[in-house]
Amino acid sequence: MANKKVSKKDIAKLLEQWSQQFAVFAPSKESGVAEILKWDGKDTSFLDWYRNTVIPPKASLLPQMEEMFRFQKGDDGYNIETPPKDENKRLIFGIRPCDARAMSILDMTFENAYEDPYYLAKRKNTVLVGLGCTNPCESCFCTSMGVSPAESIDVDLMLIDIGGYFLIEEVTGKGKELIAKTSGLQEATKEDEAKTKQAKEMVYNKVTRKLDTKGIKDRLLASFNDEEFWQKVAAKCISCGICTLLCPTCYCFDINDELVKQEGARFRSWDSCGFPNYTKMPMENPRQEKWRRVRQKVCHKYGFYPMTFDIIACTGCGRCIRLCPVNWDITQVIESVPDKTEAKK
Amino acid sequence: MTVADSKFFAQDNVYLPHIAVIEKIVEETPGVRTFHFNLKDEKLRKEFTFASGQFAQYSVLGIGEAPFCISSSPTRPNHLEFAVQKVGKVTNALHRLGVSSEIGFRGPYGNSFPLDNLKGKSLVFVGGGIGLAPLRSLIWNVLDNRDKYNKVDIVYGARTPDDLCFKYDLEAWDKDKTVNMVTTVDREAEGWKGKVGVVPKILEEVAPPAKDTVAIVCGPPIMIRFTFPVLEKLGFKPGQILTTLEKRMKCGIGKCGRCNIGNLYVCRDGPVFSYAQIKDFVSSEY
Repeated sequence: MANKKVSKKDIAKLLEQWSQQFAVFAPSKESGVAEILKWDGKDTSFLDWYRNTVIPPKASLLPQMEEMFRFQKGDDGYNIETPPKDENKRLIFGIRPCDARAMSILDMTFENAYEDPYYLAKRKNTVLVGLGCTNPCESCFCTSMGVSPAESIDVDLMLIDIGGYFLIEEVTGKGKELIAKTSGLQEATKEDEAKTKQAKEMVYNKVTRKLDTKGIKDRLLASFNDEEFWQKVAAKCISCGICTLLCPTCYCFDINDELVKQEGARFRSWDSCGFPNYTKMPMENPRQEKWRRVRQKVCHKYGFYPMTFDIIACTGCGRCIRLCPVNWDITQVIESVPDKTEAKK
Repeated sequence: MTVADSKFFAQDNVYLPHIAVIEKIVEETPGVRTFHFNLKDEKLRKEFTFASGQFAQYSVLGIGEAPFCISSSPTRPNHLEFAVQKVGKVTNALHRLGVSSEIGFRGPYGNSFPLDNLKGKSLVFVGGGIGLAPLRSLIWNVLDNRDKYNKVDIVYGARTPDDLCFKYDLEAWDKDKTVNMVTTVDREAEGWKGKVGVVPKILEEVAPPAKDTVAIVCGPPIMIRFTFPVLEKLGFKPGQILTTLEKRMKCGIGKCGRCNIGNLYVCRDGPVFSYAQIKDFVSSEY
């Protein structure tokens, strides 16, 4: 069956329609930085300004701060409240292919060994509607990380800009089902399909930054103890944590309690391997020195994650390059990892 | 045993602690206490099982949560034990608790000592300070099934005689004719009749033969780091050396990120590792 398309002018109507069934989230600048927020019911101006969000969409499923459960202290001891399961149906509109891939990467960790109930409850009830890029940033390098800027296997529906319309690709059964229930869409013509193909190719070629990751896992492992190299790599890092907090594949969190009189709650919040306290134990800290923390960040994404899940935990979204206050550049780092793999054998 | 085998959590939310009640507190050293406890819910208490080497997350609700190994042996199931050194926020709060106080408990987590692979072998336990806690679970497990194992050597040390934990156990193992118990302190002390010297040095003197033997090591990181080369010198292959590691942890289940050593999470893939598994990272990450 042919794909559908929707006129750009009708996006507000489409989101309105979906709002009947879902809490719709879309790109917004309301907070001062671009992020995916609950759609306000009218604004579609993001179609003009949106390249990608500053705060990655992971924040919708792994909020910066999240209550895990509450408890009370009574006369006969503690009572721990079982938190209600998050049953809200969400639709994230406008996720970029790099960030959608990042969700798939996060799934691996949150599904592994023990299921993470908070993340997965939200994830299972979320429909991802991707929006293909038309204007990638200089810092983007998705095409080197197996991601295409206007194609995705990690979303339920994929929208590709073909001029006055978005062509809608039904990627999953969930997406197909949604489209079957959606009115006001038009059939895409053969010409639209041709335009889509062209648009995909064009934007693919606009991603000019390239990164060669061939053999990177082994190169990193062989250079793991090369302190001089890591010192050099870490030299200008100021341990602000931005490259990890705003990385769409970073999932690290801290857990803390709060207690006011007899009522308390446990929270989790984003944490970063860039912070010295992250691994600090009262008597020891295996990563007190900055270069060890930078090494952890790089090796986790490009070495350890592939060892466990067979995929690099980086999608080339470029945030860590765009947002770094001292212009630290992961692509330069990866390219400068010495090749000691032969020596090791 | 892999983490997913633990079926204790019938509820869907793995992060929710169960309530446990402290039944007894043993003052081990000026800074270390052992807590004897049981789950408050009787049904859960009956269902609960664990294996030597596994750990759990303990909460003082409102203060926070911290991981400790279960230091008692599953062969003595009347209650559970964990030992705590007073060093940080949660451990200080735990030390303020009294008998019949309630704590949060979730677990058991992590892998365990590979009992099946240890059967028929000689065992060398090498412990330092509070690092005896996880070894103790296995030692009692072994001694309660004594005929299944060959020789047992225990080399245990602390900075001073006062810092020796589980003195009642040390005494019992010393009396046990099937155990070669060697206790040491770092520096000479008045009235001390045992060995003097750091654990790796004393281990080298004891020189247990490596043939058909497994060494099980736990203590402060510096002791662990210096013990590995001694064992290697004695002829132990990296696969014959087991250790149980401690790292800062929050979730205990492989999500929160911080306890990794290389690609392995101490909580998910450990806390028990063979030296062969962590050899590449141990010099610089532990």
